[in-house]
Amino acid sequence: MVFSIRFLALPFLLCSSVWAQTVITVAAFPSVDEVVRAALPAWQKKHPNVQVKVVSREFADHHTAMTTALSASSGLPDVMTIEYGYLGRFAQSGGLEDLAQPPYAVRQHQARFVAYAWAQAQHDSFGQIALPTDIGPGAMFYRVDTLQKAGVKPEQLSADWESFLGAGKQIKDKAGVFLVAHARDVKDLVIRAGVQAGEGIYYDAQGQSLVGSAARFKRGFELAKRVRDAGLDAKVNAWSNEWGESLKRGNVTVQMMGAWLGGHLQNWLAPQSAGQWRSGPLPEGVATSWGGTFYAIPKKSAQKALAWDLIEHLTLNKAQQQLAFERFNAFPALLEGQAGAYFEQPVAYLGGQKARVLWRDTAQKIKPSRVFRNDPIAEEIVNAELDLVLTKGKSIDAALADAHRLVQRRAQR
Amino acid sequence: MTQQASENKATLGPVGWLFLVLGGLAMLAPFYAMFVFSTHERSDIFRVPPPLWFGEHFLDNIAILMNRIPFWINLGWSLYVGVISTALTLLFCSMAGFAFAAYEFRLKKPLFGLVMATMLIPSFLGMIPSFMIMDLLAWIDQPRALYLPAAAPAMGIFLMRQYIESAIPRELLEAARMDGCSELGIYGRIVVPLLGPAFGTLGLITFIASWNNFIGPLIVMRSVEMYTFPLALRSVQSPVDTQWGALMAGSVVAVLPLLVIFIFSSRRLIAGLTAGAVKS
Amino acid sequence: MSQRLTAQAWAPYVLVAPFVILFLVFGLFPIGFSFVLMFQSWDPVQGVSSMKYVGLENLSFALEDPLVWVSLQNTLWLAVASGLPQHLVAIPLAYLINERLGPWRNAAMGVYFLPYITSTVAIAIMFGSLFSTDYGAVNAMLQSMAQWPVLSTLLPAGNVDWMGQPGTIKPVVALVVFWRYVGFNTILYVAAMQSIPRDLYEAARLDGASGWRVFWHITLPQLKPMMYFGVTLSVIGGLQLFEEPFILTGGKGGIEYAGMTTAMYMYRTAFEFGDFGLASAISWLLFAVILVLTLVTNRAFRVKGG
Repeated sequence: MVFSIRFLALPFLLCSSVWAQTVITVAAFPSVDEVVRAALPAWQKKHPNVQVKVVSREFADHHTAMTTALSASSGLPDVMTIEYGYLGRFAQSGGLEDLAQPPYAVRQHQARFVAYAWAQAQHDSFGQIALPTDIGPGAMFYRVDTLQKAGVKPEQLSADWESFLGAGKQIKDKAGVFLVAHARDVKDLVIRAGVQAGEGIYYDAQGQSLVGSAARFKRGFELAKRVRDAGLDAKVNAWSNEWGESLKRGNVTVQMMGAWLGGHLQNWLAPQSAGQWRSGPLPEGVATSWGGTFYAIPKKSAQKALAWDLIEHLTLNKAQQQLAFERFNAFPALLEGQAGAYFEQPVAYLGGQKARVLWRDTAQKIKPSRVFRNDPIAEEIVNAELDLVLTKGKSIDAALADAHRLVQRRAQR
Repeated sequence: MTQQASENKATLGPVGWLFLVLGGLAMLAPFYAMFVFSTHERSDIFRVPPPLWFGEHFLDNIAILMNRIPFWINLGWSLYVGVISTALTLLFCSMAGFAFAAYEFRLKKPLFGLVMATMLIPSFLGMIPSFMIMDLLAWIDQPRALYLPAAAPAMGIFLMRQYIESAIPRELLEAARMDGCSELGIYGRIVVPLLGPAFGTLGLITFIASWNNFIGPLIVMRSVEMYTFPLALRSVQSPVDTQWGALMAGSVVAVLPLLVIFIFSSRRLIAGLTAGAVKS
Repeated sequence: MSQRLTAQAWAPYVLVAPFVILFLVFGLFPIGFSFVLMFQSWDPVQGVSSMKYVGLENLSFALEDPLVWVSLQNTLWLAVASGLPQHLVAIPLAYLINERLGPWRNAAMGVYFLPYITSTVAIAIMFGSLFSTDYGAVNAMLQSMAQWPVLSTLLPAGNVDWMGQPGTIKPVVALVVFWRYVGFNTILYVAAMQSIPRDLYEAARLDGASGWRVFWHITLPQLKPMMYFGVTLSVIGGLQLFEEPFILTGGKGGIEYAGMTTAMYMYRTAFEFGDFGLASAISWLLFAVILVLTLVTNRAFRVKGG
């Protein structure tokens, strides 16, 4: 049995060694791996002697494997895919090439990218360590039929948080369904508005905690508490079975997430509600992003020139960016990729709304916020305190004070 | 004579049957659910309540899976690593277990303490140093990095020691020594044949652990063609966009060899009955 | 005779040699590395050379970290609540299966073993939907049962928010862990029971002993070695519980971290928060706890047997 398996693998290995002279490795996760694979036919016409190995792992597994590889400075791919949440940590690893330097000299292309995405991949000491390929401009998806039933106008949702809550009460009274999935969603948006230049969400320019001082945290907690007290949220966590079911049944009226949610709603979350959903701007003109994918080149790569060529093809090529959007819902980070007929087309699922234009505009307005190493744990701490406020009736001031203390404690490590 | 007769007949009262059947249904439910989910499309699975009867999309799901991963090659590697891992583990653990059970020697206590201590270390902290070792040995992307390091697991040694202590009488070993059998001969000719149930149990546990292990391959394997099946299956999972139906179909495929191994090894467990007859 | 003695002297060393060699090559370094790591501050992405010596700082931070204590409490609770029932149920179950089922023995073992080999993703989806607050089967059943006269006083009025309240997360996780491993332990005990000499049972039957007395006086004592093994495994495994709570709470530990075990916290500290030094300190704290409890188990089984 052992021998027969080896023989099975043999023709496979032979094939690859006969045709390819050079091999480059791209490490990615779903569905970025599919985007890369879709780009290969066009790229390999220019490089017929190069074999591209796409090594795909589950999202968390991938970043774990990359962490391991960076730690030992070994086993690194030629092109490394990094998701926004991990960018902060990987950026300061010192193991990624500065793409602003020659021979990449990517700064000449800076104006071609969405500004905030570009800025997110820039590090004070290590330079431009990655290039953005897709972004997740924030959008509000709402059920227009529920709104009609409740006599609520869409503008009420977007004007300001007061009218948002007011609309929620009307929806509850007249339509009998929830406004949002979880009160936390409201808090998340409020704390992302009003971030000053050079600041992060949780930390200021000097790396000190902002949780106790920045007014947006108090406001976020207050609004979330009002949502919960008025019974406007379904208390379901995003991506759980219940959340999916709530969206499907229309028990949740508004979901605020990246623009890519539209694709998921259409494909599998709520396909039967086609035509009932619309997309609108977030309340008070908040412009924020969900996620985002970047490509980087490890310093230890032996094929940097080819890796760079592939990254250029993936990020700077208009046709490729549009292909990724059309087939895989990957919203282009390249400005040219956002032009073109596809964006002007009405989206059937959203009742013929020209939503893509809306999302494009939002993307322009997003301001970059600095990423800090301890952001993930700061987020955890703040969420845990919010839970205590919502479920245990802890006072907001006490909760914020505790959160501030814990976040600050982490900053000093 | 009489004992054989009672071995072949079920003699359980109604309460016992009720207990067993209810328990059995509870055990079965998610397993059944996995099979049912594998035959449905993604949007149907995510419903609450989930579908309770089979759908028609099994082959579609398998097709999605085969499109994303080199399905048969991954299965092949899992099988290969699993078989070798099991064989090595049975050998090494029975050897060490026999040593601890039947002999007195100077380093016995500290060595057994070491065995126990290795069980206490959580696996993922060892990930990065393990990777460094594999890198040093140039074993990256090689199956031996998967079956060799854990070929003498503490749990297996512990199990073998307990079993040998209780199932193999000293008199037997002494008798063999008087007959002029060498020590290793005792191991090979007397002890091993009596280890049927223990081999069955440990073999099963080892194969399952090897089959389901994904941390090892995650660290060591660099290309999708070298992945074992669980790792390949995981690589289809996306933070927001998992193909649940395909994943379930893959899980069904992944579980079938485990079932086969189980059926095979439970026969060995039963074979222990004849071994017990030696004592009477 | 002396030849026999020398052969007997080196035989055990030859027999344990594979284990020792493998340990020296693959076990020693990771353990040593993790021990050294406890005294360093390290985010691995910056490479090995970026390790900074910080002495006992990690340990003191861990001891003052409220989450470490919360997670230890959770871990101990879960280990006992999921481990004890496993053995209390597995032993009589194994007896029934082994002695009373005849030809159905294999089928029963197979069914009880299924949870152990079912994929964790399937388990997560299934239990997630079973215990769903508004749409789940468990709540639906409780609601309909609450209509009955006696039970309406005992059962809660509305839907129970299983995964959203700290008081109910732990029992649900314990239930899933119990469900997952009870069959595993049953198999172990069946294997052990296979090796009990049949003539012991014959003698007891001739003396007129009933089923229950046979079980208590013959089967149980013979099971001691396997019980020691099984319980030790449950203690160690229970204290290292990671996968089930991780999957059931979506990786975060649930409300008020009620479902977060120490192993989970350690994993998150290492891979989500990038603090390997602290993670190492936490793991050695956990190791100390496991060591103490393993020694206690050891002592308990020695005393019982005498």
